[in-house]
Amino acid sequence: MTEDAAKHEGERTPSILMVDDIPANLRILYESLKGRDYRLLIANSGAQALEVAKRASPDLILLDIMMPDMDGFEVCRRLKADPETKDSAVIFLSALDDAADKIRGLELGAVDYVSKPFNPDEVAARVDTHCKILLLERELANRNRQLELVRDRILNSMAEGVVGVDADARVRFVNPAAERILGADAQHLLGRRLEDWEPEQLKRAITRALAERREIVVDGLSLPRAGREHLPADLRVAPVCASDRLEGAVVVLRDLSDRRRVEAKLDRTSDELRQSHRELKEAQMQLIQAAKLESVGRLAAGVAHEVKNPLAIVQLGLDYLAQVVELDGTSIEVVNDMQHAISRADTVVRGLVDFSRERDLDLKPYSMNRILADSLQLVRYELVQRQIAVETALSETVPSRMYDPDKMQQVFLNLFMNAMHAMDRVGTLTVATETIVVAQDDLGTHAKQVGFLPGDRLIRVRVEDTGPGIQPQDLERLFDPYFTTKRQGEGSGLGLSVTRNIVTLHGGSIDLENRPGGGARAVLLFRPAQDSAKERDEPKEDPAGR
Amino acid sequence: MSQKKILLVDDEQALTRMMRLNLEQTGRYEVREENRGANAVRAAREFMPDLIFLDVMMPDMGGDEVAEQLKEDPTLKHIRYAFLTAIITKRETGTGAAEISGETFLAKPVKREELLAVVEELLGD
Repeated sequence: MTEDAAKHEGERTPSILMVDDIPANLRILYESLKGRDYRLLIANSGAQALEVAKRASPDLILLDIMMPDMDGFEVCRRLKADPETKDSAVIFLSALDDAADKIRGLELGAVDYVSKPFNPDEVAARVDTHCKILLLERELANRNRQLELVRDRILNSMAEGVVGVDADARVRFVNPAAERILGADAQHLLGRRLEDWEPEQLKRAITRALAERREIVVDGLSLPRAGREHLPADLRVAPVCASDRLEGAVVVLRDLSDRRRVEAKLDRTSDELRQSHRELKEAQMQLIQAAKLESVGRLAAGVAHEVKNPLAIVQLGLDYLAQVVELDGTSIEVVNDMQHAISRADTVVRGLVDFSRERDLDLKPYSMNRILADSLQLVRYELVQRQIAVETALSETVPSRMYDPDKMQQVFLNLFMNAMHAMDRVGTLTVATETIVVAQDDLGTHAKQVGFLPGDRLIRVRVEDTGPGIQPQDLERLFDPYFTTKRQGEGSGLGLSVTRNIVTLHGGSIDLENRPGGGARAVLLFRPAQDSAKERDEPKEDPAGR
Repeated sequence: MSQKKILLVDDEQALTRMMRLNLEQTGRYEVREENRGANAVRAAREFMPDLIFLDVMMPDMGGDEVAEQLKEDPTLKHIRYAFLTAIITKRETGTGAAEISGETFLAKPVKREELLAVVEELLGD
């Protein structure tokens, strides 16, 4: 029997060291076990046994107790004390059939006891049994190692941080994700005690899970990390119990920053969607606006037809009556007022039609003051009815220039009607003209759009009322077609858009503002002289576009 | 001097009436009203006017269509006609009548003197 012969039989062949100072005993043991699938080793002293055990790492040692120099108990103690040999299983051999000795041997870490004189079958049976146990244990250990490897792979690859704590909340295990989430490496974390946990919520969750032996879940935890921003995380602490005994707990930490990032991205995306939606809506509004403008054309045709027929009837009826009835002074005035009323209504309807068409101006040299005086004349009756006083400050030095007097009259009729509606009853309508060198503050939104600059010498017309003024948000919108602050039926919402249109055609600007002392003010600006020749030569060109 | 005959075609009865009153009041014209566009040609054949006023926008048959039929009828094609319209503004017609592509237009609301002036112009050759 040689060690070498057995060596290549592979690791699975159990090796057995037999130790006895009496060669006859060794022979019996050898005879008992030879021919079986064991690798057999022999030592005839305690010292030799330790030496062989260290070198060959036998699976099983059959150890005689009664030996000179070093007895079996001492050999066993030393074997168990040495990490290299402690795993070898020891079966004591002795003639001493003494319970105390057996107990002492088992206390020293022996697994069994065989009494002398040996029964070879018994020896073989015991050795077989223990070798089977050893093999099973080894396989079990192997499987455990594999399971641990799998477990480690899983834990290492997990996105969730996993921390194992014992019953005292001391860290016994951390996976790489936990190191990342907690912002500390395993070395620093292992052995960390409960008191060291931050934040308070995490500490409390672990304490409760261990104390109450139930799972604790905390969402939206903010984990402080040294030198870095807090990390948002969800926390789950599950107690681990073996039978009824509390072993500790598993702490699972889920990093929410990725999810937060995704959520933030989603937020951004939905912001972008909202923005596109807004833009779409605006585009839609513009389309609607365009459609409205187009419908103004149709509306104008319809209204013109519906209104102009009755007007024609009244006109001709009036003319007929004036022919056949003898008129005195008052009657003539009445007829004249009625004629004015008809022409005013006609002007309004014409404005509608004008608005829907590109029309050239019928320009002639005219005085702004005269346009204003004529326009005031047309609303004279209404002003008196409403007890609205008129204050005029018409500068004599305002130069004449090219205007379409009818259209400009329409402009001021609109502004006067608006002012009267704003004041309702009792108030003052102020109309002023002047030539000024404008400052930055004199230029409203439209004036800037038209291209007037500070320092320009311009004709300024102001129409002011003492009404409630205009809501700031409405100041520009008032010029949108169909925008109206008047009650249903009081205005078409077209007045100011037509007005601005006409003013723009004249190369002028019109802006609305609130007077410091209350009430609204329309400010119109015109250049003193206009290149009227050009206006006539190129009637197709849109002056507003210049 | 015999009275000239004028046919007024407009779906607005009050309007043809006012026009008729004003025209008749001068004592120079015999006037007939027709308030349905579709009846205009028949009325023209019966009445054989010297001048016809045609409203452009009428529900059953527009003035332009009536004019086409007048021109196609050998017995009627010599009759002068003018359109009445609510859509064209005074600026486009100027005061009184306007010629647009050879046709005469009168914008509503038309004044008595404008009406008489146009009638005189169209009939007085």
